[in-house]
Amino acid sequence: MSVTHELPRDVFIDCVHQAAQRDKNIYFLSADLGAKALDRFRAERNGQFIHAGICEQNMIDVAAGLALEGKIVYVYAMAPFVTLRCYEQIKVALASMALPVTIIGVGVGYSYDDAGPTHYATEDLSCMRALGGIEIVTPCDTQSVTITAHVTYTQPALRYVRLDRVFLPSVYLPNDTRFLADGMAEIEHGDQVCLITTGYMVHRALEVSKVLQGAGYRIGVVDLYRIKPIDVSVLRRVVERYECIVTLEEHFLSGGLGSAVLEACADAGISRSILRLGIPDQYRFENGGRDYLHRLVGLDVPSLTARIAEFLSRTE
Amino acid sequence: MPTNVTIEDLQRKSHWLRQELFELVMRRKKGHLPSSYSCAEMVIALMYGGYIRGYPSAPRHPDRDRLIVSKGHAAMVLYPILADLGYFPNDELDKFATPEGRLRLYADHTIPGIETITGSLGHGLGIGCGYAYAAKQDGKDARTFVLLSDGECYEGSVWEAAMFAAHHRLDNLIVIVDRNGLCILDRTEACVKLDPLDDKWRAFGWEVLTVDGHAYRSILPALDRAVAHRSGRPMAIVSHSVKGKGISFMEHQALWHNTMPNEDQMQQARRELLDNCIDG
Repeated sequence: MSVTHELPRDVFIDCVHQAAQRDKNIYFLSADLGAKALDRFRAERNGQFIHAGICEQNMIDVAAGLALEGKIVYVYAMAPFVTLRCYEQIKVALASMALPVTIIGVGVGYSYDDAGPTHYATEDLSCMRALGGIEIVTPCDTQSVTITAHVTYTQPALRYVRLDRVFLPSVYLPNDTRFLADGMAEIEHGDQVCLITTGYMVHRALEVSKVLQGAGYRIGVVDLYRIKPIDVSVLRRVVERYECIVTLEEHFLSGGLGSAVLEACADAGISRSILRLGIPDQYRFENGGRDYLHRLVGLDVPSLTARIAEFLSRTE
Repeated sequence: MPTNVTIEDLQRKSHWLRQELFELVMRRKKGHLPSSYSCAEMVIALMYGGYIRGYPSAPRHPDRDRLIVSKGHAAMVLYPILADLGYFPNDELDKFATPEGRLRLYADHTIPGIETITGSLGHGLGIGCGYAYAAKQDGKDARTFVLLSDGECYEGSVWEAAMFAAHHRLDNLIVIVDRNGLCILDRTEACVKLDPLDDKWRAFGWEVLTVDGHAYRSILPALDRAVAHRSGRPMAIVSHSVKGKGISFMEHQALWHNTMPNEDQMQQARRELLDNCIDG
C-alpha cells in the first residue's frame, strides 16, 4: 500500500528488489533507464543488477542466456526502445523459446509527452501482441503495479509490462486483485455503453463516464488490464449486459487494444456495435504536453464525450 | 589437448564428418554444406578434443560446457557429431528435415545437445554472455564457446555483446570467428569490409588468437590457451578457413552457399571426399 505519489516504475522495482534479496536467481537488466528504486537495487553490487549499456538488442539476448540458465530475468528501458528497437531479439531469443523474462516498458503512449515520436510508444501494443505466447499487461494504478510485480516473480513467464511514466491515482483498493484472474475489471457499471480501456486511459475513461452519466447515459468502464491473452468467456460475461462497446486507447488503432477487443468479440460471437477511439494514423511533433496532444488527436474529455454521444445517436 | 585423442584421430573425424554431412544434405537437398565445412575442424576439435565437457545422456547437465553455433545455417555441422556421441539415435540423421525427424535446417533448443535457437545471425554471442555471466555468478567453471561466422560480424548486436563480455570480464567465454571470407553474395571484403577483424576484437577488449581453421596443429594450441587463460578478458579466436573446404568446385565460391549440386557434381564431390582434405 502506498500513500505517497510513487512512480509506477519505483513501485515495481522496489517489489522486484525485495524479491531479489530473497531469491538470488532474480536478475534485473537496465538499458540505462534509471529510477530511484533502481538506485537502491544497484547499491547491492552483488551482480543481480546488470547495466546492459544502451544496447537493447544485446540486453534481450543476455536475458535469454540468463533465463536458459534458470534465472528469473527482468529487462527494463523506455517502452519504445525495449520493444521495437529489439523486436527481433524478443521474437527469436525470448518468445520462440518461451523464456520467463519480464519486459518492463516505461512510458507507454504519449507518456514522454515533451519528447516526440522517438519516445512515444503508440504502436508497442500491436507489435508485441503479434508475438507468440507473450502476456501483455498495463497496470493503471499503484495497486495493480504492485500485484503485477508480485506475479512476475511468483509465476515467471514471458510478459510485457507496460508502465506509465507518471504517477496514476488509485483505481483499486488495496487487496483488490480481481483484474488479475479475469484479466479485466468492470470498475464502473452500466448497461448501455461499455467503455473498454487500459492504463493511463482508464483515468480518462472515468472522467468521460462521469460526464456521460451526467448526461443520462448508462455507461460502464472496463479496465482491460491484460490485453493478451483476453479471456473470451470473461469478456462475454462483462459485455453481454451492454448495448454497445467503445474502446479507448492512447495508441494507434492498427492492432491495438481496440483491435484486440474486436478479435475477441468475433471469437466469442459477441455481436455489438463497436466504436474504436485512439490515436489517428500519424506521428505528432507538437509541443505542449500530454493533455494538449490529447486535444490535438481527439482523446480529451470533450472530444471523447462528443464522439461517443454521436456514436450512440447512430446506433440507436 | 585435454584428452589422449591424437591429431590423426581428429583428422579421421574430418574425413568422416565431411562425408556424413554431404549425405545428410543430399538426402533432402537441404542444408548449408560450404558453411559447415569451413568450421568442421574447429567443431571437431571442440567436441572430440576434450574442450567441451558434455553429458550426452543429460544434455542440460549444469556442469556442461556450452557451445553455441551462432552461425545457425551451419549448426547442422553438429548433427552427425551429436549422434556419434549419443545425444540422439543415429537414425535421426536419416530423418533430417522430414516430418518424422527432429533435426532441421537450422538448429534449436528442442534438439538434444543444441543450446539455443539459431539461424538469425547476431544472437549467439549475447546469449553466450548470459551463460558466461550466470556461470560467474554461480561460481561454476563451465565455459561457453560461441562460433560466429565472419558475415555475422556485420550484425551490430555482435559488438554490443563484445562490449558486454569485456566489461564483465567474461574470461570463461570464448568466441571463434569462422573467417571464411564469404557472405552469400560475394567476398566480405567486396561487400562491406570487415578487416582488420582481429584488431576490431582487440579494440573491444578481447584477447585475440589467429589460427588456420583447417589445421589441427594450429587449432589445438589456440584452444589450449583459450581454456587455460584467466586473464579477465574474453578470448576471440579468428579461424581462417575455406568455405566449402573439401569439395573443389565449392571452395571459395559464394554462390554455393545454398546451391545443390547436380548428379555429375554429386559424383565428383563424393569422389573428392574419398580423399581426406585435412592433413595438418
